[in-house]
Amino acid sequence: MEFDSNYEVSRVATFITTHSFKRVALQFPDELLKDSTGVVRALRKELQSCGEGGNDIGLYVMADTTYGSCCVDEVGASHINADCVIHYGHTCLSPTSNLPAFFVFGKAPINASNCAKHLCDYAMSSKKPVMVLFGLEYGHALHDIKEASTTEATSLSGDTSISKLHFADVMSQSMNPTKTSDVNEDCDDASRKTYSIGGLRWSLQQGLSMENYSLFWIGPDNSAFANVVLTFNGCEIVRFDAMENQLLTDTSQQRRILKRRYYLVEKAKDAGIVGILVGTLGVAGYLSMINQIKEMTTKAGKKAYTLVMGKPNPSKLANFPECDVFIYISCSQTALLDSKEFLAPVITPFEAMLAFTRGSEWTGKYVMQFQDLVTSTPVGLENSGEDEARFSFLQGGYMEDHDLQDINKEEEDGPLALAKRTQMALQEHAKDHKTMVKKGSAKSGVEFFATRAFQGLDINSNSNAPEQFIVGRSGKASGYNHETSEH
Amino acid sequence: MVKFTAEELRRIMDYKHNIRNMSVIAHVDHGKSTLTDSLVAAAGIIAQEVAGDVRMTDTRADEAERGITIKSTGISLYYEMTDEALKSFKGERNGNEYLINLIDSPGHVDFSSEVTAALRITDGALVVVDCIEGVCVQTETVLRQALGERIRPVLTVNKMDRCFLELQVDGEEAYQTFQRVIENANVIMATYEDPLLGDVMVYPEKGTVAFSAGLHGWAFTLTNFAKMYASKFGVDEAKMMERLWGENFFDPKTKKWTTKSTGTATCKRGFVQFCYEPIKQIINTCMNDQKDQLWPMLTKLGVTMKSEEKELMGKALMKRVMQNWLPAATALLEMMIFHLPSPHTAQRYRVENLYEGPLDDQYANAIRNCDPDGPLMLYVSKMIPASDKGRFFAFGRVFAGRVSTGLKVRIMGPNYVPGEKKDLYVKSVQRTVIWMGKKQETVEDVPCGNTVAMVGLDQFITKNATLTNEKEVDAHPIRAMKFSVSPVVRVAVQCKVASDLPKLVEGLKRLAKSDPMVVCTIEESGEHIIAGAGELHLEICLKDLQDDFMGGAEIVVSDPVVSFRETVLEKSSRTVMSKSPNKHNRLYMEARPMEDGLAEAIDEGRVGPRDDPKVRGKILSEEFGWDKDLAKKIWCFGPETTGPNMVVDMCKGVQYLNEIKDSVVAGFQWASKEGALAEENMRGICFEVCDVVLHADAIHRGGGQVIPTARRVIYASQLTAKPRLLEPVYLVEIQAPEQALGGIYSVLNQRRGHVFEEMQRPGTPLYNIKAYLPVVESFGFSGALRASTSGQAFPQCVFDHWDMMGSDPLEVGSQASTLVTQIRKRKGLKEQMTPLSEFEDKL
Repeated sequence: MEFDSNYEVSRVATFITTHSFKRVALQFPDELLKDSTGVVRALRKELQSCGEGGNDIGLYVMADTTYGSCCVDEVGASHINADCVIHYGHTCLSPTSNLPAFFVFGKAPINASNCAKHLCDYAMSSKKPVMVLFGLEYGHALHDIKEASTTEATSLSGDTSISKLHFADVMSQSMNPTKTSDVNEDCDDASRKTYSIGGLRWSLQQGLSMENYSLFWIGPDNSAFANVVLTFNGCEIVRFDAMENQLLTDTSQQRRILKRRYYLVEKAKDAGIVGILVGTLGVAGYLSMINQIKEMTTKAGKKAYTLVMGKPNPSKLANFPECDVFIYISCSQTALLDSKEFLAPVITPFEAMLAFTRGSEWTGKYVMQFQDLVTSTPVGLENSGEDEARFSFLQGGYMEDHDLQDINKEEEDGPLALAKRTQMALQEHAKDHKTMVKKGSAKSGVEFFATRAFQGLDINSNSNAPEQFIVGRSGKASGYNHETSEH
Repeated sequence: MVKFTAEELRRIMDYKHNIRNMSVIAHVDHGKSTLTDSLVAAAGIIAQEVAGDVRMTDTRADEAERGITIKSTGISLYYEMTDEALKSFKGERNGNEYLINLIDSPGHVDFSSEVTAALRITDGALVVVDCIEGVCVQTETVLRQALGERIRPVLTVNKMDRCFLELQVDGEEAYQTFQRVIENANVIMATYEDPLLGDVMVYPEKGTVAFSAGLHGWAFTLTNFAKMYASKFGVDEAKMMERLWGENFFDPKTKKWTTKSTGTATCKRGFVQFCYEPIKQIINTCMNDQKDQLWPMLTKLGVTMKSEEKELMGKALMKRVMQNWLPAATALLEMMIFHLPSPHTAQRYRVENLYEGPLDDQYANAIRNCDPDGPLMLYVSKMIPASDKGRFFAFGRVFAGRVSTGLKVRIMGPNYVPGEKKDLYVKSVQRTVIWMGKKQETVEDVPCGNTVAMVGLDQFITKNATLTNEKEVDAHPIRAMKFSVSPVVRVAVQCKVASDLPKLVEGLKRLAKSDPMVVCTIEESGEHIIAGAGELHLEICLKDLQDDFMGGAEIVVSDPVVSFRETVLEKSSRTVMSKSPNKHNRLYMEARPMEDGLAEAIDEGRVGPRDDPKVRGKILSEEFGWDKDLAKKIWCFGPETTGPNMVVDMCKGVQYLNEIKDSVVAGFQWASKEGALAEENMRGICFEVCDVVLHADAIHRGGGQVIPTARRVIYASQLTAKPRLLEPVYLVEIQAPEQALGGIYSVLNQRRGHVFEEMQRPGTPLYNIKAYLPVVESFGFSGALRASTSGQAFPQCVFDHWDMMGSDPLEVGSQASTLVTQIRKRKGLKEQMTPLSEFEDKL
């Protein structure tokens, strides 16, 4: 049965029964929600057939997740006191903080032999060994592709090219935050470098680094692929699109993203007010990340505000026009927001670290998962430690952050500090309130507010007499009654 | 040769009346640097023999190679006047020793920002004009700039040797030529009437015009000859000088002066009779090696020759004789000392141009009086690369107080606003240096009125800054310089090896410092952009970047990119409406082109956001025909709150309108920066808010709803108002002989240029051509022109205006739409423009 195998009903049932979970949350992304009833029915049937306790198990369907649907919605699941979460559809496999989870990736159709053919052709033409990475929904076909490419390769040129092919493995489908054993297992062989990204894991041959490999990606052009391109921006990458059944070698669009991110980092350096967007309440370590970012922004002389916001969009973020940049803390696959439509750029914690750490230089390395950044100076950064003013490439000149100097000097000032502070406050007040503040020049939300033209209703209105009664609009917002006649 | 040590120099620096700060300005190739070198030779830094052959002031290899000056160079000269020479000097002085801080500046228009930087820190200018080519574009541009800064000019008519050797013109013709040159210069100067500066025109009979031959190292003013003849005629020098210029004729037969030529063969103009012909005679005698006639003549003139010099032949002999008779340094330096102001005199009237703050505070007074004991006021006008790779000297002028090694200074950057902490640093000066061409001498301190180079501030100053004492918290900065050129040509650079990025970043930082005009920025697409004034300027910048500032790391340079502007041709065809994301708010807007000249007025700052609304209203109603009330309803300018576009409120009786003003303004700032066509800046568009329907509940009409909507409705109104592209256009000036005209015209025609003025220079076979040329078409223009005129034409291009492109960018296949597609492709946008339907909503 296609449906059952696609949703791996029996494996899920086994997972539930072996761990003897009683309350199970089934998390569906929007596009799979239509199948949810079918899945529940099939699962219920399967559980009943498994054993006697099948009827006691509560199955709850969760939809419309607050944050990215690729992450496990632990907060949602805890509303129903769930013991575990079964996650369907595309996932980023970000580690959960409390609940065990089981992931059903789904099975996307793929022409294995065609894919293998392209793969072998590419391996032949490439001078470097080829690492095969894929979208998790194609994990099921991996075995077929491996076999097909072996036969293909031997038929083409003996067994020389197959040795150049390396395949990544899917990490385990289940996740249990209380157990830590499986996390450490990759340390068994220290000489082999192990990489993992987006639920894939592989290790390299001794003495080789990722730059020595070419990457072959099987799957659509989605955020998982974007992550791979950004993280391994030193490698040559081709993509096999299973839907179109063809090989795409042009990844210039993806590389453009990297440059664009670089621009955003430069822009963030000029920011005065920073909005920290909390886009996850589930991914492990998010709290310490928020604290770390906050500390870093203050140190860089900027003001930080923390906002909790699920699925940010331009109109949501435009409600905070005072923020010059937003730092989006979320799982690695939702972290890259296309910032073109946003009033202010949205950057990742790694980019924020680049922007806000003095003297840091981007060496081309890119880190998507914020877990890798926690409490360490991020990889790929060197602190030159020189006492030089900050050079802004947006302004084309030195542009020191005002508050930074204050912080540095505070101690020297001693008894005069208070007087100076007062003086400064007075100066701020004396400023012409009518002048519109240029973006990026306000130091705090209060100051931004002070320069706005509209500052709320004027309570001290002179007349106490009630206003005259007037007839308002009627009709609905998309077109009030008096308006429809005009057009 | 004058003995010249740092200590000696430092001592004279205190005599503020005996200092002259001056720059040498001219059109390209009129002989500034050569002339400067003969001055340097006399001040004792290089040997007199090589003056004229080695250009001391061009310190870079590429400058020597191209034969043009690229960077301005400052040199301090020392000159001792004789008592006799000073007897007619009326001004204040301390002794006979003079210090001349001289800055040699480039003549090519691409580097005129260097001239601007040089003018700021000097009080006088020596304008060098080629006696044959006359006053050219760049002469005029820099002269205007100098007068705008209240710099007093003196003139030298250069390349006199061409008259004698090359063209062999007779006296009267030569006089006419010189007279015309001086007149042309005076025409420009006459337009600057400034009661404080006084009459700035130059007169040979007053000694403010010199005649020089830089290459041969000689020069004279009429003073030289007047001294010679005054006793002979028994009149005083001043009287004699008047006779040596203008309509004064002398007939040796009758020994009578007349104001009209009597027509007899022997009656000649005073200048010809007493100045031109004697020189001509000496030169001819030398060139023909008629030494037996030469020595008696020299003895008569009081010129002594060393015995080895007597052995010289022909041109070398002529050079030496002329240098001994009329040394360039004496004539020019005396002219400067006599007629250019000392810092003490100049700062009295320049303070108004210089100081931004109130003109009666202690800082203004200190500048006005050039007070060495007052608070420090120092303007850093440029950064000079030090031999120590990557570091820079901060070069500038002390206007008040004194700067010393180890002094803690307050650095006020260009974005500093008094009372705030932005762009403000407190650092100490590690070393003060006086800068002398190839040599730098460290000194303990430098008092006001002098130029100085400082070590240790380069990590806080990008291009220029005002320095003052640490404690002077209420000082205002010195006014920023205004450049006559703007960086319109841009290239994108990236490194060949990705890991060189930090090197590139560091290199760009240094490049930005090394040149007053170049702008290093980053594009939205993440590309590093270098913007310069012209092709040559960019070429030099890129070379510097790669060789000097990046240690030779390889870079990839894109083709030159020109930025365009988006504007509209007509008023929107209808009122357009956009709905907010929640569909509860609606904005109605129209776009219309601004009145002619308004965008320029905003550019110049005559109309802007900070104006008094009453003044602004007056300008708008009187000059641009605006309704008085409407002028009060301007919400904002943009992009960057000062740009040449605006939003005007035309609504009547709309509720909550004031609440959404900030959001509309934010949306407008955004949209005007990235227009709907190709995300280029908008220009000259006035957006009128016609009507607004808002939700009654404040939460539903917040920024999140209104900002994106305002952006969309602005785009929609732009697209319905016949959008057009504006392209930048150069004003090209070419000077060439008649036979080259055909070639010039054909090159211009191929490149969409059009000539609007063609004028023959009176008395010369040269033509002056003025034309407009789109910047896009200007790449390789110099080369093409040289090729088709066999090197006879040399263009000077300077950005002039924005020109509307005729074709409709919305019409598929038109030139403008192809251009839009190209720009979008380069920027990595969708190649298709977003259609109007995406921005406009229907009820």
